[in-house]
Amino acid sequence: MSTTNEVGGPGRLTVHDDAQQMIERARAEGIETVWDRLHAQEPQCGYCQLGLSCRNCAMGPCRIDPFGEGPQKGVCGADADTIVARNLGRTIAAGSSSHSDHGRDVLEVFAEVAHGGASGYRINDEAKLRRIADELGIATEGRSTTEVAVDLADELVANYGSAKGSLSFVSRVPAIRREKWAGLSITPRGIDRENVEMMHRTHMGVDNDYVNLLLHALRTSLADGWGGSMIATELSDIMFGTPKPVISEVNLGVLKTDQVNIAMHGHNPLLSDVIVAAAQEPELVELAKSYGASGINIVGLCCTGNEMLMRKGVHMAGNHLMQELVLVTGALEAMVVDYQCIMPSVVDVAKCYHTKVISTSDKAKFPGATHVSFDPHRGAEIARDIVRMAVEAYPSRNQSRVRIPVHPVRMMGGFSVEAILGALGGTPQPLIDAIVAGTIRGAVAVVGCNNPKLPQDLEHIELTRTLIENDILVLVTGCAAVANGKAGQMMPESAALAGPGLRSVCEALGIPPVLHMGSCVDNSRIMQLAAALANALGVDIDSLPLAGAAPEWYSEKAVAIGAYVVASGITTVLGVQPSIFGSSNVVNLLAGGLDGVVGAKFAVEPDPYKAALLIRRHIEAKRQGLGLSHTAPELITANESGGEPVHVNARS
Amino acid sequence: MMQTVFVNPERCIGCLQCEVACAVEHSATRDLAQAWRESPVPRTRVHVEAGPVPTTAYPNKCRHCNPAPCQKVCPSGAITRSDDGDLVLIEPMRCIGCAMCAVVCPFDVLTFHPLVGALDLETAVAVKCDGCVDRVSRGEVPACVESCKVNALIYGEINELMASGRLRETGAVLALAGSAPTPPIGGDPLAGWHSFGVARAAAALEAVEWRSSRRPDTHAGATSVVGDPGSPTNEIRNEEEGTQ
Repeated sequence: MSTTNEVGGPGRLTVHDDAQQMIERARAEGIETVWDRLHAQEPQCGYCQLGLSCRNCAMGPCRIDPFGEGPQKGVCGADADTIVARNLGRTIAAGSSSHSDHGRDVLEVFAEVAHGGASGYRINDEAKLRRIADELGIATEGRSTTEVAVDLADELVANYGSAKGSLSFVSRVPAIRREKWAGLSITPRGIDRENVEMMHRTHMGVDNDYVNLLLHALRTSLADGWGGSMIATELSDIMFGTPKPVISEVNLGVLKTDQVNIAMHGHNPLLSDVIVAAAQEPELVELAKSYGASGINIVGLCCTGNEMLMRKGVHMAGNHLMQELVLVTGALEAMVVDYQCIMPSVVDVAKCYHTKVISTSDKAKFPGATHVSFDPHRGAEIARDIVRMAVEAYPSRNQSRVRIPVHPVRMMGGFSVEAILGALGGTPQPLIDAIVAGTIRGAVAVVGCNNPKLPQDLEHIELTRTLIENDILVLVTGCAAVANGKAGQMMPESAALAGPGLRSVCEALGIPPVLHMGSCVDNSRIMQLAAALANALGVDIDSLPLAGAAPEWYSEKAVAIGAYVVASGITTVLGVQPSIFGSSNVVNLLAGGLDGVVGAKFAVEPDPYKAALLIRRHIEAKRQGLGLSHTAPELITANESGGEPVHVNARS
Repeated sequence: MMQTVFVNPERCIGCLQCEVACAVEHSATRDLAQAWRESPVPRTRVHVEAGPVPTTAYPNKCRHCNPAPCQKVCPSGAITRSDDGDLVLIEPMRCIGCAMCAVVCPFDVLTFHPLVGALDLETAVAVKCDGCVDRVSRGEVPACVESCKVNALIYGEINELMASGRLRETGAVLALAGSAPTPPIGGDPLAGWHSFGVARAAAALEAVEWRSSRRPDTHAGATSVVGDPGSPTNEIRNEEEGTQ
């Protein structure tokens, strides 16, 4: 490939000092990273970027020429609208399936636990079990925990098929929104059903109407947000504990030069929970000491890291784009992975060091990795085996190649809906009062991934900081949470970064202005909180001064999340263009027409300051709609402080 | 030093990325998502034509001849040669749309579309490859070359490119430029794909011949299929492409 553009210097690729140093080191050592591979792929396929290519059948593959000179229809006759809508539908089905299959794995173990099986797992939060059972109409009075758990498992297993009229947790949605969904025929009926139906509809010669396809895409996403993801969150809380505010540490500085370092990477807490337990067993700690290490240090990456941080305060090494760089420290004995967002390349990077990559899910194998098939029936035993493998890799570590670039930053996590209500004194009323009084203007969920097309974490950090400066409470999950933690925006004392209103509320409650609500399936917590606020006020979710943002998204799961957030009535700003711009009709529907149908829409804005402006105007307009004090949206201009990107220096 | 875009037709997989990249490069916004909504719509100046057998294709564009027949016949003096001599350029303001350039072009690369920079935005003027003169002046390679992930389009000094080109397997070039199918070439990742196309074309031809033999009233001219290597039009076309 004859290209003249060079990969940008590390300062353009990330805002973080730890990442910059490791990128420089990877270059010096000739180790290929995600940024090198993106560069090799550029320019990327124009048809695919616009959503105008279709590979759904063997009469194709087909492309629509966006410039009008070439073909305007696929071999089957599908036009740009149909092809773009089909592709988006399949993307959402893939994302929704990922969260929901994760939820199913948790549910299966929960069902085993309910029936007395599955080594190493138990009902941890019995009160939550009974509360959810009550909510779903399962009798709890005078019944044993086991009886209630069995019934709850049966109820939720049925959610995956299509035996019921609608998903159990749809009962949490305000009635007025449920009616809207029913009117549009987008009430989610069965988790697997909606995904299968999406695949069916996008087969050649089924659904060719882009509006009809997109409506079903929304229903598919709702089966994730109020189904698969919500089941994953709620059952994980019941089995592993409902998160409570906890202090942790974040960035590559959480690795220890004198300890066996194990990074847990992926998504499902089933694995990480038993690994954390095994790493504390005296026998394994003694084994580590016999090799000269002072102990065993478990750290998290991506959403598994968030699950562990939320519930146990386990330290966080980094988010999506840190997964290769954490290996470049030379300090990891093992990276233990399950599924989702784990780059196949980690195996190649690990080969440059003594690090073992251990795959554990039979659904997710990595050529070159050591596979240890994870069976929850023998969870505790397998966890011990994995930790032992890591400990035994310690003598192979070359200490002269170990470089831990920074000192860690402290961050607070653990804000489940229960924890937030707890901090507010048991009811959402103080938060509602603060919003009504205008002390807090509204709340925004800043969520989603990293994408090497953008400087890592710049948008997460700048958007979040601009919002809190303007008295908007920010809720974070996934990679966005790690970004803000690393930037020092997630400690109670970070309230000093917030505007005077939000600051006073945070200081009174002792909470950060940016609340960590968990992993990406835990976006269901945000849905639940939004529904609870709407119910408390007796309005629909779309009336509330709320917004969503996925500034650096990359994954199909993020598209599913964005879709269910919008379908639930919360307008969402994306920082990366989705592959829909080949169809003006699809763009106009998602960025405009949808507002009249579900009361929310999508916007795309890669500039964090412009995105913040867009969101502030949106929130003031919603306040106006509720009859609350507001600034006329057109009078809001960019922050004086906005415009200068931060460089986060985590050295201390 | 003659800088040019050289074509390796046996490497072209027909992805059409060069067409998209060319149109975006010649748009006002230079932004993929917005370019196709501009008016006048930006046009590609490289055209990937399907080859004589399936799975072959040829990205055809102005070869910037010197002397250039189009330049010689242009009655309004709209066609000029760049100062360095490498590029044949059209000044849209002077084009009168007579299409004489298209009449004499040995490669049929001229197209006629409304264009920014012409007298008005409605009348079609001659549009063809400008060698990405803007990009090249910034030290970048032409957009079509940058977008080509398989090195079917490469950019450089012609004698240097030819020196490396002499290492190519001439049989493959001839086959894929359309003369005669040859067996797959060892080590070429595209060989299997191309040989599938050759086999498919042969099967299609056989099927057509079988059908026409069952229908005595069908006259020969109605049986031609895309990629029929035996058809007279293809032979003409093959000779033309074989000269490159």
